Amino acid sequence: MTRIRSYLFAMLAWSAFPIAAAEAHPHVWVTLRTEILYAADGRVTGVRHAWTFDDMFSAYALQGTAHARKGQYTREELAPLAQINVESLKEYDYFTYARADGRKLKFVGPVDYWLEYRNPALVLHFTLPLQTPATPKAMQVEVYDPSIFVDFAFAKDEPVSLSGAPPQCGARIDLPHQPTAAEQARLSQLDVTPLDASSTYGEMFANKMLVTCP
Amino acid sequence: MRAPLDRSLAQAAVLFALLAVALVIFAVTAADVQAAPFGAPSSTAGAMSQPGVLAWIFAKQSEFYRSLSGVIRASKDDGTAMWGLLGISLLYGVFHAVGPGHGKAVISSYLVANAETWRRGVILSFVSAALQSVVAVLIVAVAALALGATAKAIGATVHVVEIVSYGLVILIGLRLFVVKGRSFLGACLARQGRPQALALSMPSPGRIGLFQRYDRGTAACGECAAGGGHSHGFRCHGDHDHDSAWGHAHGPEPAELAGTGGWRRGLSAVIAVGLRPCSGAIIVLIFALAQDLFWTGVGATFVMGLGTAMTVAAIATIAVMVRESASRLANAGSGPGLLMMRAIETGASVLVVVLGALLLAGYMASEQLWMFTG
Repeated sequence: MTRIRSYLFAMLAWSAFPIAAAEAHPHVWVTLRTEILYAADGRVTGVRHAWTFDDMFSAYALQGTAHARKGQYTREELAPLAQINVESLKEYDYFTYARADGRKLKFVGPVDYWLEYRNPALVLHFTLPLQTPATPKAMQVEVYDPSIFVDFAFAKDEPVSLSGAPPQCGARIDLPHQPTAAEQARLSQLDVTPLDASSTYGEMFANKMLVTCP
Repeated sequence: MRAPLDRSLAQAAVLFALLAVALVIFAVTAADVQAAPFGAPSSTAGAMSQPGVLAWIFAKQSEFYRSLSGVIRASKDDGTAMWGLLGISLLYGVFHAVGPGHGKAVISSYLVANAETWRRGVILSFVSAALQSVVAVLIVAVAALALGATAKAIGATVHVVEIVSYGLVILIGLRLFVVKGRSFLGACLARQGRPQALALSMPSPGRIGLFQRYDRGTAACGECAAGGGHSHGFRCHGDHDHDSAWGHAHGPEPAELAGTGGWRRGLSAVIAVGLRPCSGAIIVLIFALAQDLFWTGVGATFVMGLGTAMTVAAIATIAVMVRESASRLANAGSGPGLLMMRAIETGASVLVVVLGALLLAGYMASEQLWMFTG
C-alpha cells in the first residue's frame, strides 16, 4: 500500500511539475532602440522609439498590405498599418514607463510615427512627447510588456541615445536583473496567486534606460 | 471492517486533494500570462528565473520558434533543410504544449470528469491537435491566400473562433456538471441509507461486464435510483448509456472507440479544444506564405500539432492514471468511495466550466497577437 502511495505521489508530483511553471508564449519579439529628446533649454521633451520586429511577426503584420513591388513596401504603403500600430498600442501605454527623480512621467499620444520595411523586418518609429517637459537629475525609462506577450530586448549597438542633451548628461542601460529574495518568493507564488493586468511584476524584466544630468 | 474502510477513504481523500491541486494547477497554468517571465527568452531573464529543467524547456521553446523562420527560408533552396524544419517544428510543438494552454487543461478535466480511459485521452489529444492544425491552415488559406485579408482581419477572425471555442468549453462543462452532479447527488442520498434500492436497477446482462470493472455491478445504478426514485430511474441507464454523448464507459473495447457512439462522445471536447488555432501556427503559415512556401508552412503546422498532441496526450494519460488510482484506493464500488469518485468527477466538471468562463472573460490568455495589429 505504502509503495503504491509513494508511486502515486511521485506520479502526481511529476504531472504537476511541467504545468506548475507556466509562461505566456511571446509571439512578438521587438529589438529596441530609444532616443531621449531634449529641448534647447535642456528640458526633456519626450522619447523617440525605433522598434524592430522579428521577421515572422513582421510577415504577419504585413499580410494583406497592398504594395506595388514585391518584397518592398514604401512608407506611404505602410502608413495605414503604422496608424493601426499606434492606435493598438494606446491600450498598452505604448509599453513605455518613465520616472523623473522618482515621480511618474506622463506621455501624450504618439507623434511622427511611421513604419519602415528593412527586408525582412518592420521597424516602427514613433515619438512619445511628455505631457510636461521635465528637468530631472535622474530619469528612468522602461520598456516592457507587463503580460509578456511581447518580448522586448535592447539593440546591441547604441540602444539608447540622447538627442540635444546638455553636455553633462549621460545615459546607460540596465539589463533585466537577477530577482531579489522578495521577487523570488513572489515568483514561486505565481501559480497559486497569479498576477492581474495591473501588476507591475513584469517590470522586473524590463529594459531600463537610466539618464542622469548632474 | 470499519477501520480499514476509513483508512482507504482517508487515502482516497488525500489523493483527491492532490488531484484537485493538480487540476487547479492545470487551470491556473492555462491562465498564466504572468509566469511569462520564464518565457522572456532573449535576455538573461528567462534563464535566471527558473531552476534547471524548466528554464531550459522555456528557453528551448523560444529558441525553436525563433529558428523556424531561418529553416523555412533555407528550405527554399535546400531540400534537406526540410528535415531540419520538420524536426524543429515537432520539438517546438512538444515544448510549446508544456506551457499553458487550455487544451491540455480542458482535455484532462474532461477525462477525469467523464472517467474516460487513457486510450481515449490519447486519441482526443491527437484528434484535437489535428483539428487545430486544420483550422489554422484553413484560416490562412481562406483569409490570407484567397482573400488577401490583413493581419487585423485575421486577428479578428481568430478572436471570433476563440470566443466560440471558449463558449463550447463552458457548455461542455455545464453538461458534464449536470450529469455528474446528479450522480453525485444520487450517491450522496444513497449514503444516507437506502441500500434496498440497490436491487432496483440491476444492469442488463449484456452490460454486467462493463459495470463490474468499476462499480462492482450495481452500486452506481442503485444509488442513482435511490436518489432519484422512480422518476429518475432512467438516469441510471442514461448515465451509463454508451450511445449517449456523455455516458461513461469504464473500459471500452478498442472496437468501441472507433464506433460512432464512441467518437461522438469525445467530439464536442475535440471541437472545443481544437477549434482555436495556435497563434504560432498562424504566424508561421503567413510567414511561409510571404516566402512563397505556403505548403512548407502547412507541413510545419501539422508537425507542430503532432508535437503538441504528444505532450497533451502524456499529461492526459497522467490525469487518467491518477484518477483510476484514486478510484482503486477509494474502493469505488463501496458507498463512500463511490461518493468520493462522484465528487471528484463533479469537481472536474466545475473546473471545466470555470476554465471556460475565465477564458471567455479574457482573464486568462496564453497568447495575444493584437498589441500592434489591432
